[in-house]
Amino acid sequence: MATIIKETESIKEAVIHINTIDTNKFSRLLSRILQKLHLRVERSFSQEEEEKLQNALSMEKPVLSLVLETISFILEQAVYHNIKPASLKEQLENVKIDPEKAEAFCQAWTTSGPDVIEKIRQRIFAPKKLEHVGWQMSLELGQSSQAKLKAPHAVLQLGISGDDAEGQENVFVEFSHQELLDFYNKLETIQAQLDSLT
Amino acid sequence: MSSAHVKPLGGAAAGNVSFLAGRIPPAIEIMSKYMKDLDKELFRKILKVVVTAIEGTDCCDALGTIAESCDVPEEKLSSVVAGMHELLRVALRLPPSTLKQEGFREDLRELRISEEYISDFVSVVFGSRREALDIVASQQGPQLPHMDDFTWRVDVAISTSCLGRALQPSILTQIQLSDGTRSHFQVSVPKFQELRYNVALILKEMNDLEKRGVLKIQD
Repeated sequence: MATIIKETESIKEAVIHINTIDTNKFSRLLSRILQKLHLRVERSFSQEEEEKLQNALSMEKPVLSLVLETISFILEQAVYHNIKPASLKEQLENVKIDPEKAEAFCQAWTTSGPDVIEKIRQRIFAPKKLEHVGWQMSLELGQSSQAKLKAPHAVLQLGISGDDAEGQENVFVEFSHQELLDFYNKLETIQAQLDSLT
Repeated sequence: MSSAHVKPLGGAAAGNVSFLAGRIPPAIEIMSKYMKDLDKELFRKILKVVVTAIEGTDCCDALGTIAESCDVPEEKLSSVVAGMHELLRVALRLPPSTLKQEGFREDLRELRISEEYISDFVSVVFGSRREALDIVASQQGPQLPHMDDFTWRVDVAISTSCLGRALQPSILTQIQLSDGTRSHFQVSVPKFQELRYNVALILKEMNDLEKRGVLKIQD
């Protein structure tokens, strides 16, 4: 297993501070960071939360930042390599983290690790993705050029959202019965392809 | 011609022209007067041009050629063309189950149109081209864009910046709509299943509706 945590200067410094944290508080900190890891946010904690943490852990702001960043980094590396809890513990001990803290990491990883990996795996990034599917079916009884129709029509609403919070763009597509059947057959072809992958 | 001048031909006769449902439009009334002056050749040419116009093709040139080649005054010619167009438009609007051939012939006789011309009208409304004309008519109503083209691609993300081994399939879709817009977007596998489920649900509802409810709506 390649070393996922290289022993750089900042890591060494962070480790010293990490080792000073009380183990119970540390476990809770870990689970909180793990919860928010799959979201692509700059900071996992808001301003107020960080101030509370500063008091709780009696750390100055820059030190706290370093500690939080380091813990996030370790967890992100763990996700990237899909590491086993035992290997993680070993790697942490190599960078001189206290055995208790390493154990806490291990525990948190065993419980929440697979979930976090799955959530990150499900995340797709594309300029636009389909968020919402809505539909409406109606029976057309007549129009200006044709009387006494009995044609069922369906309108499909596809809610497509972009990455930057532009909001949802709605695409409306109308189908007659035959057109919908053709569309469904195309979807079935795609499904067959997906099935052949597994 | 304002509608105030409309007088039904032969008094009670208007009530018998069932496919026109009451008042005879002035265009048709005038046309039936002038039709007697036309010879069969000219009539057939005009009929062809009118049917092409109903199908949606532009036929100014064709009509211009006819106007030049024949010696009928322009006013008469335009009245005849307008009348024929109106007659066919109203007749084609009704489905064959409502407007029967015999009934249509009767109605045309009420309008004092001669037999040979009646046969030509009947062949347009009940002939082989009727299906094509119906398809054109159904596309003319107000409607939301239809799907012209649907192309797709199944991708598997092998590795991302967050996950060394991701192996996550996703679907890239491009939809081209009839109003010219193109949208492409990516669909995750769960969302795709949702889309597929919803489309199947609509199809089921359509099938149920066609079996049950529609039969209750009588012509």
